[in-house]
Amino acid sequence: MLHGLGPADRALLRRRLRTPVRTFLALLALLAMNVALGATRPFEQVWLVELAVVAVMAAIIILVSMEVRHEPPLVRLFAGVGFFWVAILFGMTLTDYLAR
Amino acid sequence: MSADVTGANPAADPVGVTRAEHFATVGQQRHAATLGMWAWLLTELLLFAGLFLTALILRLLHPEAVQAAAGHLKFWIGATNTVVLLCSSLTMSAAIELSRLGWQRMMVGCLLATASLGALFLMLKGYEYYADYEEHMMPFLARRPYALAEQPATRLFVNLYYVATALHALHLFTGIAILLGITWKASRPGFLQRHQNWIEVYGLYWHFIDLIWIIAFPVLYVVNR
Repeated sequence: MLHGLGPADRALLRRRLRTPVRTFLALLALLAMNVALGATRPFEQVWLVELAVVAVMAAIIILVSMEVRHEPPLVRLFAGVGFFWVAILFGMTLTDYLAR
Repeated sequence: MSADVTGANPAADPVGVTRAEHFATVGQQRHAATLGMWAWLLTELLLFAGLFLTALILRLLHPEAVQAAAGHLKFWIGATNTVVLLCSSLTMSAAIELSRLGWQRMMVGCLLATASLGALFLMLKGYEYYADYEEHMMPFLARRPYALAEQPATRLFVNLYYVATALHALHLFTGIAILLGITWKASRPGFLQRHQNWIEVYGLYWHFIDLIWIIAFPVLYVVNR
């Protein structure tokens, strides 16, 4: 299908797909890091690094793939509030279990 | 631009949204659709967050049992499935960009690729469940011996694993069905002139399914190894 595109269309397509492809490669690299850490277990507290990598992956998907960074303030507020509720859920529950 | 290749209609503006009567402007309609999808995704986020939190609590309460149970999970199938979903997110993002350009035929191709990758994920997940069954790792089957029966706490984690992954698979299955419906509609002439934002709004759901698995894989498979 791409063979029928002219040079201008190919350049336009490359330009429009640049961000999705870069996002994909970044997520793949972060996943590779997590898989390598999970397979080798280099040190005892490696789970902290693994969860930090996941947090970065989630932020990339929300901000770039789901385009929250380009949305109006109300949509950004909705997206932020959702994760704020999750933070309250985790924070209050783990406070109990970790303080026992 | 060649209309035969991209599927665009050069005679008219190839991209647009037909305004529904209860909206003042098309911009307001687009904004409301995106906001509505986010409101629903937040309820889904809280649903899955409860399951992930339970996994962390089980790890705190029964670390040995959770590690023993997680040792039976198919780490490499989970990792492969994560790559499959990342690929599907790429094709979904490409479909959104192509819809904005009005290149209908290529967009439909990307939507079909996304659905195919989703189906591949489900097939791999099904194989994983089959392998679990063969290893006697289904404690909820009353008539089948359970491999870790001497460690009762492992049942909690294994059952949670099935609930979380089956719920995700159900969302993915529903997502594929809706995606195929949208793809069929999107292949009709004039779709992008009337409903271009459907692709963008649906894309939010697909990326969200991807996001949930990207969190589920480390929480269930990786950190408990």
